[in-house]
Amino acid sequence: MKSKTLSKKPGASHIEAVRERFPGVVKDVAWQTDDQVTVTVATDALPDVVEYLYFGRGGWLPVMIGNDERPIKGCYALYYVLSMEEEDKGWVVVRAEVDPDTLEFPSVTPRVPACVWSEREVRDMYGLRPVGLPDERRLVLPDDWPDNLYPLRKDSMDYRHRPQPARDVENYTFLSDTGDRETTVVPMGPLHITSDEPGHFRLFVEGEEIVDADYRLFYIHRGMEKVAESRLNYDAVTFLADRICGICGCAHSVAYAEAVENAQGIEVPARAQAIRALVLEVERLHSHLLNLGLVCHYCGFDTGFQHFWRVREKAMDLAELLTGHRKTYGLNLIGGVRRDILAEQKMETIRLVHELRDETRSVVDALLETPNFEGRAKGVGLLDPKIARAFSPVGPCVRGSGFARDVRFDHPFDGYKMLQDSFKARPYDGCDVLSRTLVRIDEVFDSFDMVEYLLENAPSGPILTEDWTYDPHKFALGFTEAPRGEDVHWAMVGDNQKCYRWRAKAATYSNWPVLRYMFRGNTISDAALIVGSIDPCYSCTERVTIVDVKKKTEKVLTRDQLESYCRRRTHSPLKD
Amino acid sequence: MTEIIIAIVQALLLMLLAPLVSGTARWMRAKMHTRRGPSILQDYYDIAKLLKRQDVRTQHSSFVFRLMPPLYMGVLLILACGMPMITRACPIPVLGDVITIIYLLALPRFFFALAAVDSSDAYSGVGGIRELIVGVLVEPSMMLALFVAALATGTTNIGAMGEAIGSLSVTSPVAVVVAAAAFALACYVELGKLPYDVAEAEQELQEGPLAEYSGPSLAMAKASLSMKQVIVVSWFIAVFLPFGSATELTIPALALGALVFVVKVAAIFFICSIVENLVSRVRWKYMSRQTWTVVGVSVLALVFCVLGI
Repeated sequence: MKSKTLSKKPGASHIEAVRERFPGVVKDVAWQTDDQVTVTVATDALPDVVEYLYFGRGGWLPVMIGNDERPIKGCYALYYVLSMEEEDKGWVVVRAEVDPDTLEFPSVTPRVPACVWSEREVRDMYGLRPVGLPDERRLVLPDDWPDNLYPLRKDSMDYRHRPQPARDVENYTFLSDTGDRETTVVPMGPLHITSDEPGHFRLFVEGEEIVDADYRLFYIHRGMEKVAESRLNYDAVTFLADRICGICGCAHSVAYAEAVENAQGIEVPARAQAIRALVLEVERLHSHLLNLGLVCHYCGFDTGFQHFWRVREKAMDLAELLTGHRKTYGLNLIGGVRRDILAEQKMETIRLVHELRDETRSVVDALLETPNFEGRAKGVGLLDPKIARAFSPVGPCVRGSGFARDVRFDHPFDGYKMLQDSFKARPYDGCDVLSRTLVRIDEVFDSFDMVEYLLENAPSGPILTEDWTYDPHKFALGFTEAPRGEDVHWAMVGDNQKCYRWRAKAATYSNWPVLRYMFRGNTISDAALIVGSIDPCYSCTERVTIVDVKKKTEKVLTRDQLESYCRRRTHSPLKD
Repeated sequence: MTEIIIAIVQALLLMLLAPLVSGTARWMRAKMHTRRGPSILQDYYDIAKLLKRQDVRTQHSSFVFRLMPPLYMGVLLILACGMPMITRACPIPVLGDVITIIYLLALPRFFFALAAVDSSDAYSGVGGIRELIVGVLVEPSMMLALFVAALATGTTNIGAMGEAIGSLSVTSPVAVVVAAAAFALACYVELGKLPYDVAEAEQELQEGPLAEYSGPSLAMAKASLSMKQVIVVSWFIAVFLPFGSATELTIPALALGALVFVVKVAAIFFICSIVENLVSRVRWKYMSRQTWTVVGVSVLALVFCVLGI
């Protein structure tokens, strides 16, 4: 009887298949929600199980999460999150325990390349050693970080601790696979040339052709996960999650709120769910319009750029109308949302959406009719579907390569449950910049329809529930489809009203690793356009150097000094 | 004597007014973007600011890097002396030969590219090489178009060519019209405006050859680039659109000639501005395909010329 109910649950067929294929490796199975199951396996069998679920059963891997569970269970744990998107859709999380003395586990990357960044990150943050990991460079930590300090271990450091720089040279090596071709290195960054954001690219070129590329990011890691664990209460983290991104903040805060709600079994009121979906679509509108403008800019078509941004202003007005903030911030609480949509706001929204649809239609037509736009974008930055399958990219980046992956329809959450029948994912199979642009254009128009549908059909009722009890050490996933792709958050609350571990995976985290393959074979002139076509998200700088020419002095300002000067506008740090 | 004065005044006015032309183009660009945009005097402000700044150069650059901006500007001033702008004939005839002009334009281009490579910056180097390739692709069709005009008018002096075309006394009018079209296309590429600003492409190469320049050198290079645009447009006007320029050296004729010249330049830059803002930059790989069209039109002109129509 028990096994019969088990097999009905989503994900159960995957567990059965793993049990059958690898007898004896499954140690424990637990469902967090109806469609999320965590299966603990023997650490030795980890690569086999993940590979089987990934390639054998249609899984995609957004992220792997490391967790220091020594205080609870006496070991470290790794959670390989797999989104099962073929038969029996759902989330299967493969958990493996890592011995706190040896600190070693078998790397999955050689089998499933999608794990590469997560495993490098776990190596940086927890000092766990993935045995067999092909790329052992640091990912997140800077070059001058001390060797044996692992920030996310529970016993390592306070979040305010700023260790002394261990060395003062950059020793990061850029890798290239150029065969026996003689190449020139073209540096791009540390500040990206056209999006003016911190990311260091090295292009290995022969003439104008890019033979290979490597890049380094995380110049501005803000340590948010550490701050959330030690400084904020779990219910304040929704507001911190907003600030992960300057554009798709709401997607992150919904994902975090969902993670906690899923873990604690909180039923979010239907109206709040609809409002969340609606605001996520408004966010997609302004984000996609921004990227369409940028694509014009990268092609040298600045007229299009300016006009897209002019139209985008209206989408920002829409966001302000619905959330009180131009960037859709500060909407979510655990258990619901903070603002309802009133009748006059509804009318105004409908009016704005009408205007926006017409104006967007005219600028999109102008873009597609621009004589040499197709010549710029077609066949540029090809993302081979095989590479895409191996690395699990997300959003318009993967949909442009023919995969209909979209969390909104694969694992419907919140208000998207209402939209299942009338909308679907929008794949294009050109694999190039043009396809990714066309995906965004289609999605913009879908978003208009979704906003209208949700406004008309949102159920009435409360927007917040506070009727639940707090249960420590429960964990679950929260996921949203941000404009750039899926955001996956994993949260476990502790026994002190704080997050025990919160892992926020932004969409672009999944898209960076494939960029290298998209560069190859293109020319330098396409590099900026290709980076732009994944719509990357960086963040903001921490400190600046000011050189006074007349006095011939040099001074480095810390972020604290700058911050306090920004607030007070007096006591300039330069005048002493 | 009057010719010498006209030549010098022309050159000085060109130097002083070229930033106004580029400033106006920027203003128009802003209007088409629905931006408020900078004042049309902005390029003067920029130059004034740059002149006050320190001139920095890269460690491994040689005298070529230093030499390029003054050389560029000097050559353009010489060209301006010989170019018929308000008059129909060349103020200094020896500078009005098409071969001389083409080689005088090739000289700064060569140094521009050389200085770019010399600055030891990866982006500059790529930009310099692009600049040379653009030259290789465009100059032959330019030569061919002018060669057709020379055959039809029986002279290689642009003043005399303008004289012949202006008085509508050419042997093969169709050939001249087609040659004018080819030359106009080639000149457009030569202007370095979108979609053909490949050497300085901001989003691709960070202003390419100019990337390492600063202070007065940059000011001089920028002013030279806008002067070059005016020179190229005047060149086209002198040969193919000479109508209205002063045929005799009297004050009213010169005044009328100056007015007509300003109107023609303004009209041409207006058209260029519109084209510039309606397109995206040509993909570098496809550049040669598009210049082949120009070669084709020039060859067509030559065929008409040989046929004598």
